[in-house]
Amino acid sequence: MTGNPASPVTETPPLLNIENLTVGFRTGREVASMPLQGVNLRVPRATRMSLVGESGSGKSLTASAVIGMLPGGAEILRGSIRLDGEELIGASKQRLRDLRGPQIAIMFQNPRASLNPVLTVGGQIAEVIRTHSDAGRRESHHRAIDLLDQMGVPDARRQAGDYVHQYSGGMAQRAALAMALSCQPDLLIADEPTTGLDATLQQQVLELVVEQVSDRGASLLLITHDIAIARQTCERTAVMYAGRVMESGPTASVTSSPANPYTTALLRAFATVDEGRMYAIPGTVPTLLDPLAECPFADRCPNAAEECRDGVPELRTIADREVACVKA
Amino acid sequence: MHLAVYVLRRLAYMLVALFGVSLVAFVVTRLLPGNPAYMIVGVMADESTVIAVTERLGLNLPIHEQYFRYIQQLASGDLGDSWRTRNPVTTDIGARWPATIELGSAALILALAWSVPLGIVSALRRRSFSDRLANALSGFGVSIPEFFLGMILLLVFFATLEWAPPALGRTLGDVPPHTTGFYTVDAILAGDWEAFKAAAVQMILPAVTLAVTVGAPMVRVTRGFMRETMASHHIRSARALGVPERSIVLRHALPNVLLPVSTMGAIMYGYLLGGTVLVEFVFARPGIGKYAIDSISESDFAPVLAAVLLSALSYLVVYLIMDILHFVIDPRTRT
Repeated sequence: MTGNPASPVTETPPLLNIENLTVGFRTGREVASMPLQGVNLRVPRATRMSLVGESGSGKSLTASAVIGMLPGGAEILRGSIRLDGEELIGASKQRLRDLRGPQIAIMFQNPRASLNPVLTVGGQIAEVIRTHSDAGRRESHHRAIDLLDQMGVPDARRQAGDYVHQYSGGMAQRAALAMALSCQPDLLIADEPTTGLDATLQQQVLELVVEQVSDRGASLLLITHDIAIARQTCERTAVMYAGRVMESGPTASVTSSPANPYTTALLRAFATVDEGRMYAIPGTVPTLLDPLAECPFADRCPNAAEECRDGVPELRTIADREVACVKA
Repeated sequence: MHLAVYVLRRLAYMLVALFGVSLVAFVVTRLLPGNPAYMIVGVMADESTVIAVTERLGLNLPIHEQYFRYIQQLASGDLGDSWRTRNPVTTDIGARWPATIELGSAALILALAWSVPLGIVSALRRRSFSDRLANALSGFGVSIPEFFLGMILLLVFFATLEWAPPALGRTLGDVPPHTTGFYTVDAILAGDWEAFKAAAVQMILPAVTLAVTVGAPMVRVTRGFMRETMASHHIRSARALGVPERSIVLRHALPNVLLPVSTMGAIMYGYLLGGTVLVEFVFARPGIGKYAIDSISESDFAPVLAAVLLSALSYLVVYLIMDILHFVIDPRTRT
C-alpha cells in the first residue's frame, strides 16, 4: 500500500471507505431518481459500526452498492468504494465474486427466506466454503458443522442435514450467520438482521453477532432503523437521511449529544415511543428525483436558516465526529 | 410421513374419485337422448324386438340398478361390450390405448425438451433473443388450434415437401409382434429396425403438433417460475457470498423451478393420455379419443364410460406418480 506523501497519516486507513457515492435509477436514458446523493462513510478495522436511518434513507442501497449487487435499473453515477484500499466500483464481476465471502459478507433480513428451501443448511454453508477454498466435500461439511456449532445451533451434526423449514426463526438466523462468516470475512454487513424476531431472540442474535465478529477481529456494518439496537451493539454510528450521511461518530456521543438536528429529531421520535406517546418529525422525507440543492432536512428542521438553503452541507469534522450541518 | 402410508392413502382416495367419476359419467350417458336398442336393431325392427333388446341390455331397469350392475361388472374387470364394434370394450381399449399412450408420451417428451430449457434460458436473459423467441413460440402455440396446426404440418411436410408419409394410422410397415402394444417399443424389442422406423415416422407430425400446443403454456410457466426464483432472497444471499452463477442456476434455482413445472407437466400428460381427439382425427390414428367420440355419436354407452374412466384414471395415476416424485425431491413435503 502506498502512503500519501502530502499528509503523513499515522492512523491506519479504514477497512471500508465510501466517498461521495451517488446512485441513480434510470428509466431509458434519463436518470429518474437519485436515492443516494454523495454518501461518505468510513468503517475502520475491527470496529462495529451501525448505519441508522428511516426506511428509504438509503441504508440498504448503500450496502447493495458495497457488495456490487444493486437492484435492476440502479447505477452508480459517481463516487468511490474502497475495501482495504481496493476500488470496488468498476471491478470485474469475477473479482467481486471472489471478494464476496472471504472479504465482505452480508446477511439479509428474513433468514428463513435467505436459505434455499430445497438444499440442506449444512450443504449450503459447505458450498460457500468450497467456492472460496480448496477444501473438499468432506472437509467443507465438517467445517459447516463446526460453524453451526460455534453459532450455538444445538446438535449441529444432525441439524446440518436439515432443511430451513425445519429451523426456527432464531436458529435460521444463526445458520445465516454461520454461512456469512464461513470464509472469515473482514467486513460483515448485517441488514436489519433481527427484524421479525421477538425481543429475547433479537437480544440473543445481536449478542452472538457482536461476539463472533469481535472474536474474528472483523468489522461489522449493522444496518438498522432502531437506535436502541445501534446503541447496544456498535461502537460507532452513522445516521443517514435522504441518501446522505448526516452525522457520524462514536455511538455514545452521537446518541447522547447529537450535533445534527436530524439526529436530534430521530432520537426524540424513539424516546417518545418509549414514553408511550408518539413523536413524528413534522413534514415528509423529500423524494429524491433530482440532485439536492440544499440541506435535505431544511424543510423539516426547527433550526433552519437562510444559509441552510445555500447548497448541500458537507460532512465536517467537529470534535469527535463528522456532521453535515452548516449550523453545527 | 412414511411414503408407503402416503401412497396407500392416495390409492384409497383414487378409488373414491373413480367411483365419483363413474357415477357422474353413468348418469350423464343415460340421460342422453337415444336408446341404443334402436341403433342395434335398426329402424326397420318391430316394437317387440326393441323391447326384447332393451330388456337384454337392462335398459328398462331403474337407473340405480343399472349403475349397481355396472359397478359389479367393473369390479370383475369387465367394461361391458360395444355393440358398435361387437367387441368387449376391454379388447377395443387394449388395441387403442397403447396408440394414445405412445403418442402422448412422445409428445410430452418433445414438449418438455423444448419448453423447459427455453423457459429457463429466456428467464435468465430478459429481452434477449431467447426471450423474444419464447414469446413468439409460446404465443403461437397457445393461440393455434391443434387440428389446424396438424393440417398445416401435413400440408407442408406431406403434401408439399413430401418428407412425411401419408397420415394413415400407426404404421405403414409391418406391425411388430405384440409385447407392450407400443409399436415403436415392440419393434425395438423385436430388433426390427424397419418396423420401428415405419411406426416412428407416423408419429412425428402428430407428436410435434401436440408438443407445440402442450409446450407453449409450459414455456410461460417455466419462465415465470424461473424469474421468480432468480429474484428470491435465497438466490440473492447465495450470490452475495460469491457462489458462482453456474451453481446459482443449476443447483440453487433449478430444483425450485422443477417442482411447479413438473406439476404442470403432469397435468399435460394427463390430458394427453385421455386421448387427443382432434389430432387423432387429423392423422387418422386409432386412439382412445377417436374411439370415445365415435361411440358417443352412436349411443354406444359402454365405450364412452370406459373412456371417461380411463381418462380419469390416467390423471389420477400421473398425479400420484408426480406427488411421489415431489415427496422425494422436495424436503418440505416430508415433514
